[in-house]
Amino acid sequence: MRTAPSWTELSWPELSRGAGDLGALFAFRRHGLADASRRRLRASVLVCFALTVSVIVVPAYLRSALPSDRVGHLVAVMPSFYLGFGVLAIMASITSGGGRELIPRDEAVAFPISSVTEHLAALLLAPLNVAWVIQAWAILGATSYVFGPHALAATVVPVLLWIVLATALGQVVGWTFEGLRRGRHGLLVTRSLSAAAFAGVALLVLDDHLTTVLDHSPTVSVYLASLAAQTGHWTRWGISLAVLLALIALAFLAGLVPARWALHRPLRDELRLEGERHEPARNPRSDLAAMLRLDRASIWRSVPLRRGLLVLAMMPGAVALAGNLEWRLITLLPGLVASGAALLFGVNAWCLDGRGALWRDSLPVAPGLAYAAKVIVLFEVLLAAAGLTIVLAAVRAGLPDRAELAAVVGAAVVVSAQVVAACLGWSVRSPYAVDLRSARATPAPPVVMAGYSARLAVVTTVTGLLFSATSLAPGPGPAILLAIPLLCWSGWRLARTAAAWSQPAIRSRVIAVVAS
Amino acid sequence: MGSPEAEDGVRISVRGLKVRFGAVEAVRGIDLLAYGGRGTALLGRNGAGKSTTMRVLAGVIPPTEGDVRVDGIDVAVEPLAVKRASGYCPDVGGLVPRATPWEHLQLTARLRRLDSWELRAQDLLERFDLAAAAHRVTGGFSHGMGRRFSVVLAAFGEPGILLLDEPFDGVDPLGVEATQQVISDAKARGAAVLVSTHLRDLAMQACEDVLVLRGGAAVAAIDSADLVGEEGARAYRALLD
Repeated sequence: MRTAPSWTELSWPELSRGAGDLGALFAFRRHGLADASRRRLRASVLVCFALTVSVIVVPAYLRSALPSDRVGHLVAVMPSFYLGFGVLAIMASITSGGGRELIPRDEAVAFPISSVTEHLAALLLAPLNVAWVIQAWAILGATSYVFGPHALAATVVPVLLWIVLATALGQVVGWTFEGLRRGRHGLLVTRSLSAAAFAGVALLVLDDHLTTVLDHSPTVSVYLASLAAQTGHWTRWGISLAVLLALIALAFLAGLVPARWALHRPLRDELRLEGERHEPARNPRSDLAAMLRLDRASIWRSVPLRRGLLVLAMMPGAVALAGNLEWRLITLLPGLVASGAALLFGVNAWCLDGRGALWRDSLPVAPGLAYAAKVIVLFEVLLAAAGLTIVLAAVRAGLPDRAELAAVVGAAVVVSAQVVAACLGWSVRSPYAVDLRSARATPAPPVVMAGYSARLAVVTTVTGLLFSATSLAPGPGPAILLAIPLLCWSGWRLARTAAAWSQPAIRSRVIAVVAS
Repeated sequence: MGSPEAEDGVRISVRGLKVRFGAVEAVRGIDLLAYGGRGTALLGRNGAGKSTTMRVLAGVIPPTEGDVRVDGIDVAVEPLAVKRASGYCPDVGGLVPRATPWEHLQLTARLRRLDSWELRAQDLLERFDLAAAAHRVTGGFSHGMGRRFSVVLAAFGEPGILLLDEPFDGVDPLGVEATQQVISDAKARGAAVLVSTHLRDLAMQACEDVLVLRGGAAVAAIDSADLVGEEGARAYRALLD
């Protein structure tokens, strides 16, 4: 029964209509793709599917090649591993303001899109996140490795369902968090909740109770469901599957309520930022300083950018703190942070100017200086975020020796340079008109973002691993020797993009697209 | 030394301008002369090529073909010098969403090498009723406020060439009055003013010359007096068909 007209979006007919609208919106986006992009998209889906099958099948046949005690360790941590995926799904949903938008907000205003459609779209777009994909592959691969090839398909089905359930639960929490954030004292409430959660985990770590808590994780049931397939307890397996399916349906339906609640609340934080007074700073002393000031303001006055950068800088550092990471592993963190930070705006750097890009390009300033401003501002943001992560990680890692210090500093500088070079290239080749006002906005369409994040993840992880190896050397020499050619390569890429940017025809295309 | 055209008072000279975006030809051959101390209106339907022409004159888009000179400077060769000579109010947005008006003015003043600009900036903001919003980010502005501030930015450096693309769009009567005053002031100090708009009556008040565009080409270059009143409306309507 409908309790009020405003709740009509939570009726069965609306659910059906929402699903239909989602199909129309997907078609709308698909029609906007060029033929080459559609081919690339189809190829990417096929590659993803093939890789997913591979991560399920291949590890199952590797088991005998490794010592059995390693398998034992894995068995013990599998439920925690599954729980980790759930935490990731929740974090991804919270940081994206409840979930990604299929159609940007300013384009969507022309269409009657219900919260049901928004919720469905956010669920379907959740996997377009390289962290989600890699974590999903990791738990599937680990499950397959632990149980081996016997009844493999039946064994991984509970894990697949857990991935769906965790994503749906992540949406429930994400929408709820977004709804709270949009409340009158939203920032205070959400920051208090985040601090309490962080403090709770820190207490568990410090009291050495984390393992006990993880041993009672509800995801033990998922592991037992997989085990039931192995041992031929098919009734137990079937019941577990039925329970997981019912929970998925419940989580999906439960997500509709906070989705509607959150989406109908005003964007208080954003409105506050737009309404508040910003005291004027003294007049800039150079053209570059003037350009940088505007770019920095565009970053730090954007709710999604500010929040995203803070989360990216803090979370890996917090994980390193909790996990007591050694310096050789800390070299992997700058790549993770730099890639994530670049995905907030760097992959479409001129979107910082929004519709002001046209005016800004009409100012009498050399194109090279405008380009340098974007390079500097992106580089400093990535380095700052990576630096904060390293400082947090260093709290428990102790003092590094010279090789470790050179490795971690080299990793931070090199991956930042690599990411800046890649991002500026993409920004000039493939600009998009986006408004980064909303926490749900992304600097490029979700599918494109998935491609960018995958490419950045591969490059920065490989670089991080190389620097990790140099940290084992007796001195800083190998790290320095590794950094020099990599920095030169990034410098050459940046110079190549600068040459493209200096051409009026290319520059005007970027500006016209971004400002449209 | 200026070109012969500059000596005749011509500050903008466009001959055979063509602009192509891939397969689309946005401008298909426009000739235009604009003089110092006079206003020139660019009129025409949507897609006639008005905004593209303005962008070329502002040095933002390179011409595909043709000779375009602003104060004798070839736009294709020296776009930076053209940007120094002109003030441009774009047709869309035109403002960096998370910067304040004062920060826009600071950047403009710095890049245009303006000294002691603060009083003039304050005066313009007050004339356009934007003084109270000087330190709020422009992302929260209404459409009309954004248009008014874009005009302020274009006129701020007292440029010799003032390019206003749809300056009256969505602007209230007081904003229209302030914009008309800015145009009058610019003409009085010898600037060439180009106004692109759909609002014929306002354009006729602001400008002495009119260029009517259709389908990316110029179809008439006439005196604004010919497009005033009911008779002018009929003549203009006939030019659009």
